[in-house]
Amino acid sequence: MEATIEFIKKIVENLNGFGFPFLVFFIGVLEFSFGLYKRKWPKNERWVDITCFTLPRLIIRPVFAYYALHFLPFVLPGFKNVFTWVPFLWGFGIIAVADDLTQYWYHRLHHEIPWLWRFHRTHHSASYMGMAMASRQNAIYSLFFSQTYLTAALVYLGLGIPAIAVRVIKSTITTLAHSSIAWDKPFYKYKVLHPIAWVLERLISTPATHHAHHAATTDDGVGYYKGNFGNMFFLWDIIFGTALISRQYPKAYGISHYEGDQWYAQLLWPIFKSKVPGSELAADGPVVRLDIAKEELVKEEPVQKEPEISYLQAAN
Amino acid sequence: MKIEQATKERIVRNVVLSLFIYLLPIALMFLTFTITGQRPWEKKAQKQENLKSSTNKPNLNNGSND
Repeated sequence: MEATIEFIKKIVENLNGFGFPFLVFFIGVLEFSFGLYKRKWPKNERWVDITCFTLPRLIIRPVFAYYALHFLPFVLPGFKNVFTWVPFLWGFGIIAVADDLTQYWYHRLHHEIPWLWRFHRTHHSASYMGMAMASRQNAIYSLFFSQTYLTAALVYLGLGIPAIAVRVIKSTITTLAHSSIAWDKPFYKYKVLHPIAWVLERLISTPATHHAHHAATTDDGVGYYKGNFGNMFFLWDIIFGTALISRQYPKAYGISHYEGDQWYAQLLWPIFKSKVPGSELAADGPVVRLDIAKEELVKEEPVQKEPEISYLQAAN
Repeated sequence: MKIEQATKERIVRNVVLSLFIYLLPIALMFLTFTITGQRPWEKKAQKQENLKSSTNKPNLNNGSND
């Protein structure tokens, strides 16, 4: 048993080094080869995807290194590696829950608390799914990725190896959930695989459930931007009642009222503002804008009460 | 724009439940240790003690490496 765990640890350590970038690159090449982006990668969106992938790393990595190498030893002196005795599998469970549940909350709050929505909007403005948009985030949203700091603290306390294992598995699941390759389709198609599908779609994020979260519509039986917040585990959505499992893929992705905000505004709002009139990222824009279809409904019936947050993209 | 009261209440309820979920793997780990009688932290303390005693050996060669 110990030899097996040691073997797994070695695989995981190697995968952590070069595995993730390779996985993203490999899936990206597959997506392009299959023509999955079609003509849906305009110049502005290309710029948003590429700058969001590269520039935040220049700021966030040094901040994170400072936190792990100076801040933690300063606030927790004498606690370094005190929990190295925790067995690997238990450490894995502790980190998996701590990291992924924290990310679930960070994600959910950015949807359910209106003033936080604009920090997460960049990730939802892409009208396509795939490797190109998987890392598309506002830099400030990425900087305060709370689970990263919690996991770093657990690593400082001695759970380094389990943390690497969780990272590899989590990166793989979240990357594949964002991919435009619907790897989960066969599980829904063949009856013999249905029991596996039932477990999988409740346990982890799949393209079907995560694509529904990125849909441009909601409450149509497929799109559900009001929920499906889970990153590695979908189980949190099941437990907290924020899940929608439809085994279908949305027809349209993104934000219904999106009009191509400039890359710098999407990367660094609120430092830079969008020049698109009426945009949520514009200087005088609304905190949360109604979906296009809902806006039309409101125009037709002008005597309406204050729009409910559950109708809004921010409630996804 | 303000957050709906129902959403706020649901968040509070779910956060309380989350605290239990955070503690669950730690509680289960110690429950397993209690049932099986394992004490892995003692192994670590033993290892450190052995390491100390081997490094504290007095150097009798006066710095010469012959």
